[in-house]
Amino acid sequence: MRAFALTVSLTLFAALGLRSFASAKDGAGPKEKELIAVLRSDAPEADKAMACKRLAIHGSADAVPDLAKLLGNERLASWARIPLESIPDAACDQALRDAAGGLQGTLLVGVINSLGVRRDAQAVSMLAKLLGDGDAAVASAAAIALGLVGDDAAVAALRPALAAGPPAVRNAAAEACVVAAERLLAAGRGADAAALCDAVRRADVPPQRIAEATRGAILARGSAGVPLLVEQLRSADRRLVGIGLSVARELRGPEVDAALVAEIGSAAPARAALVVTALADRGGPVARKTLAEITGRRDAARAMRLAAAESLGRMGDLESLPSLLTAAADDDADLAAAARSAIAAMQAAGVNDRIVGRLAAADAAALPMLLELVTRRRIAAALPNVIEAMKSPEKSVRTAALAAAGETVDFGRLHLIIERAIGSDDAGDSAAALAALRTACVRMPDRDGCTAVLEPVIATGPVGTRIAMLDIVGEVGGPRALAAVAAAARNADEPLRDAGTRLLGTWMTADAAPVLLDLTKELPEGKFRDRALKGYLRIARQLAANEAERIAMCRTALATARGDGDRAIVFEAIEGMPNAAAVQKAVEATP
Amino acid sequence: MTVRSLSRRHFLAAGSAAAIAPVVIPGSALGLDGAAAPSERIVVGGIGIGRRGGHVLGSFLEQPDVRFAAVCDIKEARRTAVKKMADTKHGDDRCTMHRDFRELLDLQHIDAVLIATGPNWHGTMSAHAARAGKDIYCEKPCTKTIAQSLALRDIIRRTGRVFQAGTQRRNLPHFAFACELARTGRLGEMRRLYAHPAGMQAAMSGWLPAEPAPDPKEVDWELYLGPAAWRPFNPRLLDGFNFEKGGGLVGGGVLEWGSHCVDLCQWAVNDRPPPVEYAPPRDGQIVARYDDGVELVFREQGWIPLGSCPVRFEGETGWVETGDSGKFVLSSPDLLAGRKVAKIGGYPATFHVRDFLDCVKTRAKPKGNEEAACNAHIACHAANVAIALGRPVRYDNATNRFVGDEEANRLLSEACREPWRM
Repeated sequence: MRAFALTVSLTLFAALGLRSFASAKDGAGPKEKELIAVLRSDAPEADKAMACKRLAIHGSADAVPDLAKLLGNERLASWARIPLESIPDAACDQALRDAAGGLQGTLLVGVINSLGVRRDAQAVSMLAKLLGDGDAAVASAAAIALGLVGDDAAVAALRPALAAGPPAVRNAAAEACVVAAERLLAAGRGADAAALCDAVRRADVPPQRIAEATRGAILARGSAGVPLLVEQLRSADRRLVGIGLSVARELRGPEVDAALVAEIGSAAPARAALVVTALADRGGPVARKTLAEITGRRDAARAMRLAAAESLGRMGDLESLPSLLTAAADDDADLAAAARSAIAAMQAAGVNDRIVGRLAAADAAALPMLLELVTRRRIAAALPNVIEAMKSPEKSVRTAALAAAGETVDFGRLHLIIERAIGSDDAGDSAAALAALRTACVRMPDRDGCTAVLEPVIATGPVGTRIAMLDIVGEVGGPRALAAVAAAARNADEPLRDAGTRLLGTWMTADAAPVLLDLTKELPEGKFRDRALKGYLRIARQLAANEAERIAMCRTALATARGDGDRAIVFEAIEGMPNAAAVQKAVEATP
Repeated sequence: MTVRSLSRRHFLAAGSAAAIAPVVIPGSALGLDGAAAPSERIVVGGIGIGRRGGHVLGSFLEQPDVRFAAVCDIKEARRTAVKKMADTKHGDDRCTMHRDFRELLDLQHIDAVLIATGPNWHGTMSAHAARAGKDIYCEKPCTKTIAQSLALRDIIRRTGRVFQAGTQRRNLPHFAFACELARTGRLGEMRRLYAHPAGMQAAMSGWLPAEPAPDPKEVDWELYLGPAAWRPFNPRLLDGFNFEKGGGLVGGGVLEWGSHCVDLCQWAVNDRPPPVEYAPPRDGQIVARYDDGVELVFREQGWIPLGSCPVRFEGETGWVETGDSGKFVLSSPDLLAGRKVAKIGGYPATFHVRDFLDCVKTRAKPKGNEEAACNAHIACHAANVAIALGRPVRYDNATNRFVGDEEANRLLSEACREPWRM
C-alpha cells in the first residue's frame, strides 16, 4: 500500500511538471542525501526504484556506491543503471567495471551495455576478455560495447572475434566494427574505415551485416567507392541491390550521377527503373536532363518511362515539359496519367504559358489532354481558349472544357456555365456544367454575389434544377446563401423543404443556429422539424465558441421541446459533446 | 478567430476537388496493376497489433502487393485475433503467431514489419528490426528520449533500411499542401508555426503494487516491460498506449500529439534541425525558437475548429491553418491559385502505408523517414525537458546536447533494462 501511495504522489509530482527538479541547482546535496537514505533504508523496492530514477538528476559520485550495490539485484538493477548511465562522473565507470567482475548472465549484459553507452575506454581490456565468455549474450554485448567505444584498442580487440568467434559473437563484432568504422570516417580516417568494413565483408557473418559493411565501405571511399556501388546495383542479391540504391542517394559527387546514368542505359528495365528513382532523388541538372530524355523516348522501357515521368513532377524544369507533354498524350494510360500528374505538379515558371500556347494550335484529339492540364493547374489565362472549346462539336472536348471553365472562369462570365447547366439539351453537358458551376462558385471570393446570380434559377427553375442550385449555394455559404436555403426549408414543396433542412443540418457556420431554432418552432412535427432540431444541436456541439454558449444552446433546445421525443434528441446530442457530463449536469439544473 | 468571423478572403476550402492519392511512383510501375507477382510481393509481419495497430494493419491488407505472414503480441488473444484477420483476407491459415518478437524478426521471408506496440517498445524494437534486415513502419511516438531518437536515425541509416514513422498526416493532401505553402515561401518568410500538443504535462508510469501475474502464454509481462525498468505485474500498467511514454519521466501530450503536429511544423520548415530554445509552459503555450528566430508554438487554445491535430503556419505575407477535418483556411484565396487539393477527412493511414511500401521497393525515403522523425521527436522531447525542469533550456544541434545545463543533459537518455539495448 505504501508503494502505491508513493507512486500516486510521484505521478502527481510529474503532472506538476517535476518542478522540484528545478530546485536541484539550489542544493542538490540535500536532495541527493535524502534519496541515498532511501536506498540505504528498508524502504519498499518501489521507493528505492523511484529514488534511483530521481538520482539520475540529483545524483553525484556520492550516490554511486549505493547504486552499485543494486547492480546484482534482479528487480532493481535496471533502476540503478539509469543514474549510473547519466551521472557524469568517472566513479560510475569504475563502479560498473567493478560490478562486471562479479556478475554473470543478464545482469552482466546490462552492466556491459551501460559501459558501452558511457563509451568507457578504460573498460576495453575487460570487454576484450569478455569476448571469449562462454555466454554468447555476454560476449556479444561486449562486442557491441567495444564498437561504441570505437578506439584503436577496441577495434583491435574486435578483429579476432570477427574472424574466429562463435556465430553470434561474429555477428555482434561485425555490427560493432561498422559502428567503429563510422567513427573512424568521421575522424577523417577513411582508409582505416574502409579497411575495417572490408574485413566485415569478408567475414562469415549474416547477409545484413555484409550489406551494412558494404554501405560503409562505399561511403568511406568517397568517389573511389563508385565502382563498388555499381557492383551492388548489378548484384543478384536483392539485399545488396537495396544497399546500392540507398547509397546511390547518399554518396555525393558527379561521378555518382555519371555512373547511375550509365547503369540506366545498360541495366534491365526493371532494375533501370529503380536506378531512375535513385537518380531522381539526387536531383540536379544531370538527373533532370536524363529523366526528361527517358520520359520522351517512345522506345524506352515502360517501367523506366513511368518512373521518370513521375519523378519529373517534383524536379522537372521548363525543358522537361515537351517530353512530359509527349508522354501525356501517350496511348499507355498509366504513362499518360503519370505525365499529366507530373505536369500538374510542376513548379517551374513558364509552364502555364507553354500550355496556353499549345492550346491555340491543338486539334480535337489533343485538346482534352491540354484542357485537363488547364483544369489541374487552374490556368486562368487559358479562359478564352476554354470558352471557345466549350462550343466544340466534339463531346470529349466540351466536357473537358467545362471542367476547365469551372476552375478558370471569372465572376463576370459565370453566366456562360449557368446557361449550359440549365439550357443544354445534352444531359452530359448539363451534368458537366453543373459540376463546373459548383467548382466555380465555391472558389469565387464574392459569395453573396454568386448566390445572387443563382437566385433566379432557384426561384423559377424545375424542381430538380432548383435543388441542384441550392446544393451549390449550400457549399458556397454566406448570409445570402443561408437566407436562400432557409426560404427553401419553409417552401410549400416538400422536395425543397427536404433540401433546405438537409443543407441547414450541415451548415458550416454558427449563424445557421437562429434559423434552425426558428424552424423547430415553425415546422410541424416530423422529419424536417427533427432535422432542424438536430442541426441546431450539431452547431452547439461543433461550433459553439465555448462551453457556456453550448450549455445555453442546449437549454434553449430543451425549452423548445414539444415532448419526450424532442428531449431525447437533446440529451442524445449532449452525449456527443465535449465534456458531456458537465454539460448534461448544467442543462438538467435548468429551473 | 472562429469560423463565424471568417471573411471570404480567409478561404475555406471545402473539398470540391476529386480525391487524389499522393504516390511516389505509379503503382503500375511497381507491378501493382492487379495481383502482384510473387517477386513484387512484400511480406509483412506485425508486432503489437492492438486497436491502432489494427487500423494500420487494415491499410496494409488493402494493398494488392502485401502478404501479411506473421503476428507477434505478448497477448494471446490479440495474436489470435490478428491471425484471423490476416487469414480471412488471404483466404488461408498461413499467418504464424509469435509471443517473442525476436522469433518474428528471425523469419527470413519477412521483408517489413509494422510495429504498433506501446511507445515503450517503439524505438528499441525498431532498432532490432533494422538490424535484422527488416524495413519498418513504426507507430508514433517512435522514441522515448533524445538519445534514442538520434540512435534510431543512425541505425536506420547504417543498416540501409526503410523507416516510416506513423505520421500519416504527411501523406494527406491538406496537410501536405499547407506544409508546401510554408516550405516554398508562398507565405513569405516564416515567422511562427503552431502545433497542438493536447496536454502539456509530464507523465510517469511508476511502480504499482504487485498483483498475480497471468500465465506468460496469455500475457508475457517480461516482454511487455522490455526496455523499461523492472516492476511487478499490475494490470493497470498494461496499457501500452501510455506505459513509459517518453521514458516515463518526461512524456505526456507534447510527445503524444507533438509527434504528429510538431512533425508537420518541422515539415513546413523543410525538416530542418529542431528548435534550439524551449521555454516552459506559460499562458497555455510553450514557445520554442529555431536558430533563426522562427517560433514553434505549442498551444492548447485559439484554434479555428478544423478538427483534431491542427497546425497553423504564419509567414510574413500569409498564413494557413488546417486540421483533421480535411479542410483548411487560408489568409488569401490567391494561395490556392493553380492548385487543387483533395479533401480527405479523418486521418487514414492508407496513403502513408502506400508511400512506405513504394519506398520498400525503390529504397527511396518515405515522407516520415528516420531523419524527419528524429528532428520532430527531439523537438518534443526537448519541450518536455523544459516542462520537467520548469525553466528554459537551450539545445545545440551540433553537439546534440543542452547548452551548459547538466540537469537537462541527464534527461537526454535513459538506460534500457537488461538485456535490451538500442
